[in-house]
Amino acid sequence: MTAVDTVVPRRRNRDARAAWLLSLPTLVILLALLGYPLYRMILLSFQNMRLRELITDLAPPWAGVDQYVKALTDGVFWGVVGRTAAFTVVSVTVSVLLGLGVALLMRRVTRGVRLFMMIAMMFVWALPQLVAAQAFRWLTDSDFGVLNYLIDKIPGVDFANHSWFVNPWEGWAVITTLVVWAGIPFLAISLSAGLTQVPKELIEAATVDGANAWQVLRGITLPILKPLLTIVTTLSVIWNFGLFTQNWALRDSHPEPVYQTLATYSYTQAFGQSRYSYGSAISVITVLLMLGVMVFYIRQMFKIGEVD
Amino acid sequence: MARHDEDVVTVGRSRAGTVTANTTGILFGLIMIFPVYWVLNTAFKPDSEVRSFTPTFFPASPTLDNFRSALGEELFLPSMLNGLLITAMAVAAALVVGFLAALAIARFQFYGRRAIILVVLGVQLVPFLALLIPLFLMLQKANLTNSLIGVSLTYLVLLLPYTVWTLRGFISGIPRELDEAAMIDGCSRPQVFWKIILPLTGPGLVATSVYGFIQAWNEFIIINTLNSPQKQNLMAWLLYNQTERGTAWGPLMAGAIITSIPVVVFFLLIQRNIATGLTAGAVKG
Amino acid sequence: MKRKIAVAAALAATLFGAAACGGTAEDEGATSATGTVDGKGKTIKVWLMVDAETAWKDVVDDATKRFTEATGAAVTVEYQQWANHLTKLDATLAGSDVPDVVELGNTEFSKYVFNGGFAELNKGDFENSDTWLSGLSGACELEGKTYCVPYYAGARVLIYRTDLFEKAGVTAAPATYTDFLAAADKVQAQNAADGKFNTVYMPGQYWYAAMSWVKSTGGDIAAKEGDKWVGKLSTPQSQEGLQRWVDLVKKYSKADVTKNENEQGAIVAQGSSAMFYGNAWEQGAAEETRKDPNDPNSALLPTKVKGKLAAAPMPEVPSFLGGSNLGVTQKSANKELAAQWVKYFTDAKSMEGLIKASALPNSTALLDKAATDNPAIAPSALSAKASWFPPNAEKWADVEKASVLQTMLTDILTGKKTVADGTKWADEQIAATLNEV
Repeated sequence: MTAVDTVVPRRRNRDARAAWLLSLPTLVILLALLGYPLYRMILLSFQNMRLRELITDLAPPWAGVDQYVKALTDGVFWGVVGRTAAFTVVSVTVSVLLGLGVALLMRRVTRGVRLFMMIAMMFVWALPQLVAAQAFRWLTDSDFGVLNYLIDKIPGVDFANHSWFVNPWEGWAVITTLVVWAGIPFLAISLSAGLTQVPKELIEAATVDGANAWQVLRGITLPILKPLLTIVTTLSVIWNFGLFTQNWALRDSHPEPVYQTLATYSYTQAFGQSRYSYGSAISVITVLLMLGVMVFYIRQMFKIGEVD
Repeated sequence: MARHDEDVVTVGRSRAGTVTANTTGILFGLIMIFPVYWVLNTAFKPDSEVRSFTPTFFPASPTLDNFRSALGEELFLPSMLNGLLITAMAVAAALVVGFLAALAIARFQFYGRRAIILVVLGVQLVPFLALLIPLFLMLQKANLTNSLIGVSLTYLVLLLPYTVWTLRGFISGIPRELDEAAMIDGCSRPQVFWKIILPLTGPGLVATSVYGFIQAWNEFIIINTLNSPQKQNLMAWLLYNQTERGTAWGPLMAGAIITSIPVVVFFLLIQRNIATGLTAGAVKG
Repeated sequence: MKRKIAVAAALAATLFGAAACGGTAEDEGATSATGTVDGKGKTIKVWLMVDAETAWKDVVDDATKRFTEATGAAVTVEYQQWANHLTKLDATLAGSDVPDVVELGNTEFSKYVFNGGFAELNKGDFENSDTWLSGLSGACELEGKTYCVPYYAGARVLIYRTDLFEKAGVTAAPATYTDFLAAADKVQAQNAADGKFNTVYMPGQYWYAAMSWVKSTGGDIAAKEGDKWVGKLSTPQSQEGLQRWVDLVKKYSKADVTKNENEQGAIVAQGSSAMFYGNAWEQGAAEETRKDPNDPNSALLPTKVKGKLAAAPMPEVPSFLGGSNLGVTQKSANKELAAQWVKYFTDAKSMEGLIKASALPNSTALLDKAATDNPAIAPSALSAKASWFPPNAEKWADVEKASVLQTMLTDILTGKKTVADGTKWADEQIAATLNEV
């Protein structure tokens, strides 16, 4: 024991060097392919890079804060921000509530049914996002889609040729359904794992004392589940705020203005309209908008001890 | 799959309640699975049944034509090969590089450790699409657009933080006493890593690489922006496969199934480890 | 003495072409397509759109063969998809390993010509260049210079069900717009029982069609006044035409107002549509489908409407002239070879092949020949004579990319905006985009 003690200070030193050496490749790669692009993105957002600068080798002219002024004074841009935020709030609320509901339901059903629910969710979860989106595009097709066919069967309802994307509310309902449908497995399965942490003695005692199901949920289950719930909600916010695949694929790679989110808007501005600088400015604003949520997430990770 | 029948609370539960719950559960499962079923159903129908105003709920004359058509499409197999190559390169590089960093974070207490953790956790949250514009310009300057290497590099960055983070978890799970014992037996630090920790992290490496595979395999926006159709992966193929008669839904759905098979198989194989990876932040189905 | 040097330099430039001058000079003059070039051991890369592969691969092969015999250079052709080829092109042009020849849609060319993506060519080197269809060549010209070569065109026609027309007592293809509406009324009355029936299948984001109706009453999309572009959709003439189209869609079409025309062949093939507006080849696409949709060589299977379709020019509605041009990229290392390949691929022999494959040739002089050689494209060749094309503005492609017209049409058809409001909004968007610096 004493021998080890005297070795410690020198080993600390050596350890630090070894640790930095081991981390070096990772740090270099992150710096070169993430840090530098991040810097370039910010730089680009203060320039005016268009197609001419891209295909000839001209340096893009300096534009100061023009791109930001352009974005922040543009009603269309604010529309996109509002839409993205509203979608995030609605889709996250719905998916977390449904996920929690399903997790609770899974505790209540018999084993066979639970297995069936798990298998169904596993398949949905495993399905690549784009495949899922293409599947929904096909289900809701106005001419050949099975959804219209089924709804049309309801007596007195004429849904033949109904187009789901004429009315933005309906279109967004389809997109939200897709996102929620694809998100439920992750939420339900991880929350259901969290539910096993709730001591059954506690619930039984409360039930015996006459607490109803709602009281048990509010008084016992939710407080214990809270850290996990916070993490999965934060993650859902981060993912859904960056919505791209679903609205992109459902609108056949050219979403109309009412179906643009920050991610697709920045992408179409940059790669569709060759406004690389304007697209970058929008990306910078997006990252800034997300920063609060991200900081919150990382602090949570540290707090619940995931980190050490 | 979790088996916690024993600790399910049974006090105060009625039979009627269980029946209602079971019915709801089955209904939920059916609704969830329906879109997946519809993809399968479509893939096995001939075109005349697919593009019909009256959809059939089972293929009336099941056929493999759609699969043949997708596989025979001139870019399908090259796309598959490209996807495999890119994914393999990115995953392998991420594993090697990430394992080293994970060792550092999991096994050493050193100045700057928290900072590294912060970086690794933080960069996972940066919306990667936001970086697509500068990455595109950088790779183009390096003549790496329209190349498999360029895409692999971007995927490597996409996978690396997550890989470090999950491997760290697996390494932390190995008791330190094992290291100490080996060192008392005369092993050097590198020998401990090589002979003790690496073999014991085996399952973790498999799980992490499978996640990496899924992430890279499912990506289509970056590759579609950087590369021409000849250097796409299967996801990009799925997005843009159009014929002169519009979308050929049958072959498209067949292609979607072929594309999904490796993902689904891998996913089901490692679903036990999912819980570990979930809250680490990078996994999304 | 000085003059002599200048003449010698000019001679040298014509003899050895631009390749000798290196790639970075500001104005290196036009690339010649007529000199003799030794291309042995060299390979040029050609990007064509997928249509060439599915419909006239033999023409590509033949032109390549003649080119290789003459120059000794090899050719690799890569076929691109329409859906995302511009993003792809940007990514490639930005690098240094670029294709030597690129095909783009006629409405897409201006943007690249204006931004220095394509090399100047010698107009006179190409066959029929004095009778090029102006709808195609317009995009190639900038400040009196030529940067691309028209390749092929397509004009839209009325395609209708002969059996349904007969049943409704309509004996001939409509000769006037009034005839057309009368025929539509009769067919509509006859088929009122079918809930999915489209008298005229007209998807709501089919802007080529809508703008053709705008043109039919003397309207226009945009025009340059001085050095500024001005949106013209809200002028009374334009609104009148658009209103006619909107009335048509509302009365006779049940098509999805958020879809474009990509699937119209497949939908008409279901048998519940009497008329649609499309390219000549779409008649075939509706009558027959490929057994394997991904294999252009697989067997053709008849659909429900096989043998029941006919085509005629849409009366009193000038057609949008669609089509493609070919350009030699500014960054190409083999400009002269590339220009020579373009020459072979657009000469009279290649055009004959295109006509056989039901595409329209690139020259007005060949349109009549096309009509007699291939009766299937006669109506469309006729349509091409009275045709229009979008504003030849540098940023027109951005207007298309931003779906301005499609959004306007959907908004008007769903009643969200009136024709007056919708066109006013679109004019603002178009002017803002086209005038942006």
